[in-house]
Amino acid sequence: MARSMLIISRQAPWAGPSAREALDIVLAGGAFELPLGLLFLDDGVFQLTKAQQAASLEQKDLTANLQALPLFGIDSLFVARSSLTERNLDESSLALPVEILDDAGLSTLINRYDHVITI
Amino acid sequence: MSSLVVDGREIALDKDGFLVDLSDWNEAVAEALARREELELEDEHREVLRLLREFYAEFQLSPATRPLIKYTALKLGPEKGNSMHLNRLFKGTPAKLAAKLAGLPKPSNCL
Amino acid sequence: MATLHLLSHSPFSDGRFNSCLPLLGDTDALLLAGDATYALTAGTKPATELEQLPEQVALFALEEDVQARALGMLPTRVQLLDYAGFVELTCRYERINSWL
Repeated sequence: MARSMLIISRQAPWAGPSAREALDIVLAGGAFELPLGLLFLDDGVFQLTKAQQAASLEQKDLTANLQALPLFGIDSLFVARSSLTERNLDESSLALPVEILDDAGLSTLINRYDHVITI
Repeated sequence: MSSLVVDGREIALDKDGFLVDLSDWNEAVAEALARREELELEDEHREVLRLLREFYAEFQLSPATRPLIKYTALKLGPEKGNSMHLNRLFKGTPAKLAAKLAGLPKPSNCL
Repeated sequence: MATLHLLSHSPFSDGRFNSCLPLLGDTDALLLAGDATYALTAGTKPATELEQLPEQVALFALEEDVQARALGMLPTRVQLLDYAGFVELTCRYERINSWL
């Protein structure tokens, strides 16, 4: 039985390589069919907002990449409710379907996986 | 680095034979790339190449094998979206070879 | 099923401390290393928040990092560890979440 892993992505998409690195871990793990979860926390929730214009910064469109996750076999996508609320975002602001969790739900989630990586 | 001449135009390729500039791609370039791989393109190859270009336009990345199969099944049905069909068309390495012929970047998670 | 959370950034200049605290479940633990030990500074908001964590949440700090920073009176609940103790601690929890 493969060990499960939760990746916690907490950086904004334009804040440097962190968000991209978190996605690369998830895509690579997905290729190995590892049971993976991806949690967007803090500024990480900004990766999910609709209608971002990556081209204006001459960068690749991370949010477009994220939409491919279900095709890569990654269906366990989570978002911290408190991070959304702080940023005046809600479910309708997000570009892909995720499960929104409160703080208690987040600590339960973390304890469900064999490994956790926060980036 | 090598290059390819299509209709009198020189097209740069990287060391693995992928297009350096993705905007160089057209149907004739695909045919020329396929000949380099000793593959004769048929309609059933071309429909997968078109699909890959749609995938790239939508998600901005080249699919690994499993997502390619899933996406093909989703768009063209399960009789085409399976590893046997795609392996047969693209010499056993559909994600890598089809991405190359479709003018996409090399799939980064093709491990 | 418990998680050991590891912080090493100062709570006064970085959001990791504030983001980590609400995620601590009852059986989880928090280990402060490096500049994260500044959270133990008496009379500060982070120190008060540490005092207010649920009683079952264990709180640890690396002793040499605490000593280097002359932090004065520490909250009574914090347990100081040397590196051997740190290693032993990581074996006691099912998973480690390093806030890199």
